[in-house]
Amino acid sequence: MIPPSETSAILLRARELAGRPVVTLGGELEAEIKDVVFQSDGGRIAGFTLRNEGLFSRARKDALPWHAVHGVGRDAVMIRDAGQLVPAEEIAPKQAARKGNVLDDRVLTDSGRELGTVIDVVLQGGAGLGVVGYEIEASAALGTAGRRVFIPLPDTVAVSGENLIVPASAAEFVSEDLSGFGAAVDEFRTRLREGRDEGAQN
Amino acid sequence: MDWWVWVILAVIVLVVLLALAVVVQRKRRRGRVIGLGGGGE
Repeated sequence: MIPPSETSAILLRARELAGRPVVTLGGELEAEIKDVVFQSDGGRIAGFTLRNEGLFSRARKDALPWHAVHGVGRDAVMIRDAGQLVPAEEIAPKQAARKGNVLDDRVLTDSGRELGTVIDVVLQGGAGLGVVGYEIEASAALGTAGRRVFIPLPDTVAVSGENLIVPASAAEFVSEDLSGFGAAVDEFRTRLREGRDEGAQN
Repeated sequence: MDWWVWVILAVIVLVVLLALAVVVQRKRRRGRVIGLGGGGE
């Protein structure tokens, strides 16, 4: 389980969370996770939209803010009690949610090279759950065309419209498996920080 | 047409509609990953 306050290097795919039951510490099943919502600035998870159980269930009008999460386990997301749910508009305003879905978006470098399309978003446990990369179906530009690879992201993620922009250097830190991806993210972010520091000194 | 032809056609249409509904619903249940605020194209 990933408690929100505990430092951890666990990596998971955001889409694995869809459908995961939301259960109170009292053992009551409240809902299922529908969408994962993150802040582009910093990549922190803002919360989750919810739906009721069942194949033809509808989206719920309440949502789960991240601060109300007790822990994210392999089989369920635990919350203290249902009183901590908030209106869905507070977590994901309708218009922003329609435009902000990153799945199937194109990933472009800031130098204009297309790297692929987003299949999933990689989250890392830590002092909160945060977005650290995309799983993409690689384009020919990466030399692994058609394969699924992981590409690291900087602290601030550009999310708007149908194109997601990443620094060109991200292509040097592509990983083919999730287990080695954490190290690639750390190296990539260190490189970006060093670049910023050098830029500030000059 | 005989009455049983209409019955078979109706059953086929119902099955197709049901299959479509299940496909659409499954797609909806995949969930989205939504990024809010900041950044730009």
